[in-house]
Amino acid sequence: MDRQLSDVILSVEHVSKAFPGVKALDDVSLQVGRGVVHGIVGENGAGKSTLMKILSGVYTKDAGTVVFDGQTIEKTTPMESLRRGLSIIYQEFSLISSMTVGENIFLGRFREAGGMRGTHQKAKELLEQIGSSIHTGSYVSELSTSEKQMVEIAKALSFQSKLIIMDEPSSSLTEEELAKLGDIIRQMRSGGISILYISHKLDEIFEYCDVVTIMRDGHVIDTRPVRELDRREMVGMMVGRTIENEYPERPHFVGEPLMKVEHLTTNKLKDISFTLNRGEILGFVGLVGAGRTEIVRAIYGADKVKRKEIQIEGEAVKIMSSRDGKKCGIAFVPEDRKQQGLVLPFSVESNISMANLKKLKKGMFLSPDKERKMAEEKISELLIKTPSPASVIVNLSGGNQQKCIIGRWLETEPKILIMDEPTRGIDVGAKYEIYMLMKKAVEAGSSIILISSELPEVLNMSNRVLTIADGRITGEFDPEKVSAQEIMNRAIG
Amino acid sequence: MDAKTRIGYFVKNNLVLVTIMILAAVTALIEPKFLTVANLGNLMNQFGPLSFVALGMTLAIIGGFIDLSVAGIVSLSAVFTISMIDVLGQGGALIAGLAAGVAMGLLNAFIVVSCGALTQAKALFITYGLSAVYSAAALLYTDGATQHMSHLASRTDLFKAVGSGRAGFIPASFLLFIIIMALLHVFLTRTQTGREICLTGANITAADLCGIPVKRRITLVFVLSGVLSAFGAIVLFSRITTASPLLGANYETNAILAVVVGGTSLAGGRGSVVRTMLGVMLVILLSNCLNLLGVSTYLQSVCKGAVLIIAIWLDRRRVK
Amino acid sequence: MSIVRKVVKEIEKRKALTAILLMLFMMLFFDTRFYTAYNLLDMLNSAAILEMLAFGVTLVIICGGCDFSIGAMMSLAGIITIKLMDHMPLGPAICAAVACGALVGFINGFLVVKQKTEPFIITLGMGMLLKGIAQQITDAHPVPAKNLSYMKIANGKVLFGIPNLIIIMIVMLLLFYYILRYTPFGRNCYAVGGDYHVATQSGIRAERIKWAAFVICGAMAAFCGVLLSSKLNTGSSIYGDSTALSVNCGCVVGGTSFAGGVGGILQSFIGLLAIQVLENCMNMLGISAYVQKVCEGVIILLILWFDNYAQKRKKEAV
Repeated sequence: MDRQLSDVILSVEHVSKAFPGVKALDDVSLQVGRGVVHGIVGENGAGKSTLMKILSGVYTKDAGTVVFDGQTIEKTTPMESLRRGLSIIYQEFSLISSMTVGENIFLGRFREAGGMRGTHQKAKELLEQIGSSIHTGSYVSELSTSEKQMVEIAKALSFQSKLIIMDEPSSSLTEEELAKLGDIIRQMRSGGISILYISHKLDEIFEYCDVVTIMRDGHVIDTRPVRELDRREMVGMMVGRTIENEYPERPHFVGEPLMKVEHLTTNKLKDISFTLNRGEILGFVGLVGAGRTEIVRAIYGADKVKRKEIQIEGEAVKIMSSRDGKKCGIAFVPEDRKQQGLVLPFSVESNISMANLKKLKKGMFLSPDKERKMAEEKISELLIKTPSPASVIVNLSGGNQQKCIIGRWLETEPKILIMDEPTRGIDVGAKYEIYMLMKKAVEAGSSIILISSELPEVLNMSNRVLTIADGRITGEFDPEKVSAQEIMNRAIG
Repeated sequence: MDAKTRIGYFVKNNLVLVTIMILAAVTALIEPKFLTVANLGNLMNQFGPLSFVALGMTLAIIGGFIDLSVAGIVSLSAVFTISMIDVLGQGGALIAGLAAGVAMGLLNAFIVVSCGALTQAKALFITYGLSAVYSAAALLYTDGATQHMSHLASRTDLFKAVGSGRAGFIPASFLLFIIIMALLHVFLTRTQTGREICLTGANITAADLCGIPVKRRITLVFVLSGVLSAFGAIVLFSRITTASPLLGANYETNAILAVVVGGTSLAGGRGSVVRTMLGVMLVILLSNCLNLLGVSTYLQSVCKGAVLIIAIWLDRRRVK
Repeated sequence: MSIVRKVVKEIEKRKALTAILLMLFMMLFFDTRFYTAYNLLDMLNSAAILEMLAFGVTLVIICGGCDFSIGAMMSLAGIITIKLMDHMPLGPAICAAVACGALVGFINGFLVVKQKTEPFIITLGMGMLLKGIAQQITDAHPVPAKNLSYMKIANGKVLFGIPNLIIIMIVMLLLFYYILRYTPFGRNCYAVGGDYHVATQSGIRAERIKWAAFVICGAMAAFCGVLLSSKLNTGSSIYGDSTALSVNCGCVVGGTSFAGGVGGILQSFIGLLAIQVLENCMNMLGISAYVQKVCEGVIILLILWFDNYAQKRKKEAV
């Protein structure tokens, strides 16, 4: 890119950041011009959010240089970043619901703003600047998503921001609200403010952005002016990759229909219906927030629903709680293993046996021998690395912890095994072992619903893939026949 | 590991036991009569009402909750039981008293579960409020008057046996305590329900997702806490032959003290009733020691408050 | 939204005020001495000390905590003042007592903010400790004040025949109201209680704010203790036994929820006043003290129940 120094507001050069087990950013470089709307696209895990957090000061980079407005930035804090003129608007917003609009805009700057009166007056002026008529005395809890966004933008303007990072700004906005946002973005651009527009919604990238950077697996694939690209090319860059993970041969044990889900409806899900076949691995592909986890939790009974009809093996079942779901032969490996799956202070064998306590009974009591045996079986079957079955599970690595949870559920001999992000935060070797476990499970007659944000994983392991977007099933594909690009396209919506 | 590290390791893991030994040694030095058989019986006798309330509290804490209503339960079940002796006879009154404990436990569980106060922090206020209600109900029930067993027409020897009876030098109440403690220990460590209680206390979300009926288990721990507190109340008034409606005052803090000092973590899921026994023992020895040293009861109260704060603080640091 | 729903919503926001108005309305139908100037003034006078206690606690609750050591602190402060009165003039004695309160608040704050212990149980333990100290110092006997002018502080009527306590309460009310509404510290309290994380990210020193709230609360509790012992001209270790629960919950009644970040001085004031009015009404109606206690307990329970239930419904929105 041939630009003069003063034309560039942000320069990121060779930045890397690694977390235990995963390299989130690998030698990332990009430049954002002044008064430019710069889009960043990439699927889940591409590194967008890590980059954002480094820029705003939440994380510290491991290597590379960041230059903002002519100043080299090493370590920084969120507040310093704001003062420098770099604002970030998170998808979940950084607002305090129990306080008023005016106060949120000037949070922590009460005196600067001129007390209560000054706060509300200045807030009103800022909101008027972007054409918003929100009353500054309203509480944030009363606002719609679009209105909250306006407040965040006003907040950014109050710092005289030169660069505003917007993370998935259009989620939960109606078309009208999105159009209004677009106007504001254009207004800010002509005022010389740069916007970093992070989104999956390719339509919006084409509509509002001048330049776009495509990221994948922690790398920058390319940065190009938007008018030089088309949608197909963009999706291609997002998904095309060299195979890094190894996958076992795709299992082929698919039989007749096992479970039928119909009219599943909640606040978020809109009349979901699908079938799961025996011995099948059914993959759910979609963006974060599309509703994949909500679907499986609703099926299992962990969440309340407005409506759902489930048939298992031809018979209608009533599932009102997790207990019911388990009784119907469903197993659930949750997304957040630390908070929802593991009992960290307990031993490996307790964690494995906790869904199988009935099996441990010898007469009226639980038999420690049976528990030990169950654990030892699973440890050898699943190649769990632990000093002993009595070791406290918090000391095991993520991969081995996950295997314990999977082992726990395999012990219940489930008909349907739901796995939500089963290989998240796990090294390549352990991942392969888990794939083999999945294969064994379907071989033994179970069916699996697999949710994963790693597209290659879902595509390589599933017999069939459903794409989910905005609470709806938008497509059904055979991954052997359809390209990753097409599937992703449908998942983006 | 050399001898020094080995000792250090032992001390760290068995702090309570070591403290008990130290306290016992110190007390024996001050008062040689401490180590006689007669005094041993006296010590066992001191286990009394608090030990039962502490057992109930242990179960609640393992289940993930701190039951602050025990003070009120003690007061109300005491005055209720005494009032039933003339009406239902000894046996009937005993059962009625325990039933009152069960009923209050059920009410506690119902209120906590129905409003979704399923974290320890939220339920704290509610059980504290319930304590106020039960205490007030006790006052109302007796119109503020203290009940005297001596005023009763019926026989009360069953109660006298429970409160002050002995088998040799071993008090009946201590025997009952050991038996109940043993049963509860087996229950918690060897039965499915007991295990489910521990899992619920350790991680209620994970337990629920594994199909454990968490609401039922929570109800069970509150009921057990209630009935054990009621039993403690019965032992208490049987001993002193009177029941004031304010009988239960401070029992909740003393019970928590015994449990926390014994080593059961407030975080829930882990712990044992055996540890609580040690905790009660430590509290008793501490009181004895301080008494012998001539420390006033009030200062002892200060000590206990300080120990409680320190114990909670250390527990927090360990969990972090 | 229809008119009916709007009205219901407004009433819901002002539960305590509605309750007070209802009670005032109800008492019109009973032939009691409720509506006498004497009674109304007396009610306000008795409520004054508890209200000031509530002002201090409100600060802590808004920051997301609570303080159940205030009752014991109150009784201890009174005792300290009376004991010190024998050795030094009144002014310094009072200051010393208030300083003790601040110190206790400092310790509470340390344990809650720095050590991250659960505020309820740790302040409860602290209360136990303070009560023990109070009992020790007085040997559990009430201690009379020897300096006669002490009594005049709380019982005097310096301005136009209005009791001192009410004047002090109004001054404190205005002071705390101002702090919470118009100073950076006060506004930051709301932020800290509303969302600790967001507050910290915005550069607010959340730890210090919460800690300071505890210190102020402790000092205020001591101050109220001084006033109480002045009013009764005695210091006793049994004062303040059930105070902590009724004051903390009185704030919640008025709308200063334990969730943090909501409520305020006026809300707490009205909430606690509602409980006081209820007590007074029950007294006037000749309801026995014990029935009153049960009623109070049940009402507090219902308040806590609803506070939690509302949070539950919000979470489960299907």
